[in-house]
Amino acid sequence: MYTLLSGLYKYIFQRDEYCILILGLDNAGKTTFLEQTKIRFNRNYKGMSLSKITTTVGLNIGTIDVGKVRLMFWDLGGQDELQSLWDKYYAESHGVIYIIDSTDEERLSESKRAFEKMITSEVLEGVPILVLANKQDVETCLSIPDIKTAFSDCINKIGKRDCLTQACSALTGRHQEGNDLSRITAPNNRRDGKKN
Amino acid sequence: LGGGFFSTIFSSLFGTREMRILILGLDGAGKTTILYRLQVGEVVTTIPTIGFNVETVTYKNLKFQVWDLGGQTSIRPYWRCYYSNTDAVIYVVDSCDRDRIGISKSELVAMLEEEELKKAILVVFANKQDMEQAMTPTEMANSLGLPALKDRKWQIFKTSATKGTGLDEAMEWLVETLKSRQ
Repeated sequence: MYTLLSGLYKYIFQRDEYCILILGLDNAGKTTFLEQTKIRFNRNYKGMSLSKITTTVGLNIGTIDVGKVRLMFWDLGGQDELQSLWDKYYAESHGVIYIIDSTDEERLSESKRAFEKMITSEVLEGVPILVLANKQDVETCLSIPDIKTAFSDCINKIGKRDCLTQACSALTGRHQEGNDLSRITAPNNRRDGKKN
Repeated sequence: LGGGFFSTIFSSLFGTREMRILILGLDGAGKTTILYRLQVGEVVTTIPTIGFNVETVTYKNLKFQVWDLGGQTSIRPYWRCYYSNTDAVIYVVDSCDRDRIGISKSELVAMLEEEELKKAILVVFANKQDMEQAMTPTEMANSLGLPALKDRKWQIFKTSATKGTGLDEAMEWLVETLKSRQ
């Protein structure tokens, strides 16, 4: 009887847990994206005022529940020197959100290089990637096709994995509904989440 | 409806709860200099702390009770007596002391295992950045084993307590971070 009940309880309340890494150059909007996501998905979370967010030299964390899935985010500093810390998190990541500053054309190739380095890591092989072209609220920003063109020569390095590019504005929260976090946790996307 | 009710409303409106911050680190890292830099804005002459210094620091309307605990080997075991209700730990590291960075790491790791500090934010002050040969934040993060922390928010600031650099930036960050958790 106990087994039956506890099995039922588990069936109803158990959540699959996935760890999602948020990467990208400094000032791309990673921490703002994380805060905005926490505000949207956690009803009682007040959050930081987004204008007060400063450069991350470390790690920010966040947890949200989407249906029966729990996502745990790791937002790492994006400065050149800090990028060497990214791979310390690869082994435990189920998905990566890579954020690009769509208003910074000058650093687009730098962002591409960091992206390329990340996707060619063996540890991340097959891990789904959501690419967010951020700051789409700024009128003069680059469009999705512009960015896709700039990143076109690393398409063959993406390999057999789910990779989706979407527009986003972390600051205003617009476009965010469409960000398909569920793709990252879709069953065909390897690495089993931890069952609780 | 007693005063308690109103004071609860008041503090929830204005967030006046005093924050409890611990300043920890090995001896000679610069903890006491940092405490008094934050409190009086000046460099004071310090002697090795045996025991602790405690001061109230107000920053951007947020009141902090800041505990600076002595860092010598013999008194480090007493740090844990002060862990309860701590909102944030400022871990001060001498960025030039490569010989003892391993000891600094093991003290930090042991500290973070304590249940009472489970929810505390970790801020590392990579101090003495005015000196040549100072470790960079990435070196510091790796030497302290910070990438192994997967469920705690942490941040490194480059500081020089004697020159006063980096402290404002760090306190600003701490205030905003603590406010969002109230």
